[in-house]
Amino acid sequence: MVGAGFAGSLIAKVLGDNGFRVLVLEAGAGHDPGEAVERYRTAPARTPLVPFRRTAAAPSSDYVVDTGPHSVASQYLRMNGGTGTAWAGLTPRMLPDDFRTADFGHGRSWPLSYDDLEPHYRAAEWEIGVAADADEQRQHLPVADGYRYPMHALPRTFLDEAIASAVDGQRVDGRELLVVGTPQARNGVPVDGYRPDGRLCAGFASCVPVCPEGAKYTPHRTQKRWPATVELRTRCVVNRLHADESGRVTKVGYQRYEDDTTGAHTRHEVEADVVVLAAHAVENAKLLLLSGLANSSDQVGRNLMGHPVLLTWALMPHPVGPFRGPGSTTGIEAFRTGPERAARAPFRVEIGNWGWGWSAGSPESDTAELVAAGLRGTALRRAVAERVSRQFTLQIEVEHEADPANRVTLAAERDALGNPRPSVHYELSEYAKDGMLAAKRVSDRIFELLGAEDHTAYKPDDERYFEHDGEPLRYWGAGHSGGTHVMGTSPRDSVVDQWQRCWDHPNLYAVGCGSMPSLGTSNPSLTMAALALRTAGHLVTRWR
Amino acid sequence: MDAFVELSAELTGFSAEELRSTGLVEPYRALAEGASEAEIIQLWYTGVWRGTVPSARAYAEGLAWKAAGVAAPGTRGPGFGSWERRPRGSSR
Repeated sequence: MVGAGFAGSLIAKVLGDNGFRVLVLEAGAGHDPGEAVERYRTAPARTPLVPFRRTAAAPSSDYVVDTGPHSVASQYLRMNGGTGTAWAGLTPRMLPDDFRTADFGHGRSWPLSYDDLEPHYRAAEWEIGVAADADEQRQHLPVADGYRYPMHALPRTFLDEAIASAVDGQRVDGRELLVVGTPQARNGVPVDGYRPDGRLCAGFASCVPVCPEGAKYTPHRTQKRWPATVELRTRCVVNRLHADESGRVTKVGYQRYEDDTTGAHTRHEVEADVVVLAAHAVENAKLLLLSGLANSSDQVGRNLMGHPVLLTWALMPHPVGPFRGPGSTTGIEAFRTGPERAARAPFRVEIGNWGWGWSAGSPESDTAELVAAGLRGTALRRAVAERVSRQFTLQIEVEHEADPANRVTLAAERDALGNPRPSVHYELSEYAKDGMLAAKRVSDRIFELLGAEDHTAYKPDDERYFEHDGEPLRYWGAGHSGGTHVMGTSPRDSVVDQWQRCWDHPNLYAVGCGSMPSLGTSNPSLTMAALALRTAGHLVTRWR
Repeated sequence: MDAFVELSAELTGFSAEELRSTGLVEPYRALAEGASEAEIIQLWYTGVWRGTVPSARAYAEGLAWKAAGVAAPGTRGPGFGSWERRPRGSSR
């Protein structure tokens, strides 16, 4: 197993539970939760990767060489637990239409349907512990009859209720608005028969990147349940897979380092009957390209997708108590699919509970602005209160379709271990831009319905600023990378089959979001987990 | 009378007592020697001193959070479901 993140940890557990001996090679260092919390609290900018242990030998996404024209702006973490350590813990499922995106004339369809994956969604929700209400989800999604999520839906925030009371039932852009609870892998009140791992969510309001309470699922929870037949080795960077003439992968080469500050390392090789790459979409592609494997279709590294996020921010007419509870507890699902999808990308509106923290750097930015305006003393205190206590942000994830031209390749530049760094070419499509523009118009209407004071501003010198149809726009990254070892029905035009097995190599699997032919508009980790469990079942049957 | 506390109270709009209760008067006094008004306010409000955060406490006790009536994220767990509650109506 190459990588001890979300997919790798889940698959290793199933294999271990079924009597397999599993060696997990993790490129990054181990995770120290206490140290991460301390680093978070003393970071001048509380960005998603800032609290975590980083090493010179296995750099995280900041070593990716961006060749433009746009930045995919999708961060990932190379550390035990992977990006699933820093994730938000939001676990919406994909919609049935998301599996057949090519039918809308954009991107690629899956070789699987929603119905094929549905039982695995349920298994994943129980494995990682998801809090949601099945009846509420059935309003926009087919959920199996009689199914219960392992935990009841988390309480909504005061902000959620304020927004729902103003927008539910209103029509915008031909759709009826409804604020819906977002499923989350965060501990709530369990249903009979489920025992949560860890404590109840206590509302630390720092889920991205660290939950001091341990109430958010991370892959370390699964690792704690690994049987003794699963062995983890951290600080082991796999840099080459070797295959024999028949295509069977025989050996895995890796570089082991001790010192986190240099590239000093020793070289090792290990043999395995089955090799699973679970190192992240970009890293899996890098490793396949480095090894010259799995690429008879010429699709390795291609179809790179992220979620461009449009942030819009405003002040409610009254205090809503931002920066309390999980980052997002509800969303508006009405724009996630429909016939418009033929013309523009669909989107999902996430209601952001943490003020303008993400969009504008609040409250530090507000303080700086008000101080610069000359406010002091009581007037300053009152102005900060007035400004911060009414803040909210809409975080709108827009679909980006698979395009073979958006791709990961190997850069000429090398990392500290002497391996080529990944290089990314990424261009926002007209389809995604049209979706962002439609999303902006929907946001404008929602702000009107709320009587909110719009403070959204996109300026030409902002990062990731662009204009579309004459309108200023800006996108942010979501940390959702996929598509780079795309799954399909034929070895001619895809890298892995529906079991995430490389078409070209009978004993090589590439798992994770890299297998997804479309990301839809949902945070992809739950779908990755469902796919991982499905693949784990296949591995057990096939290789026992 | 403590000149640094007096100046800080005047600049921040928080009373000397409120400032003392953060436990940060002494470390801030040492840092803020010769600092501008804006720097002193930034230190008290956000816990940031010239681009760095001197301690976890500096972050946790940031007055911007207190003015808004919430805990600095990641420093306190007010309890399951606490986010449902009506926030206080105004700052003072």
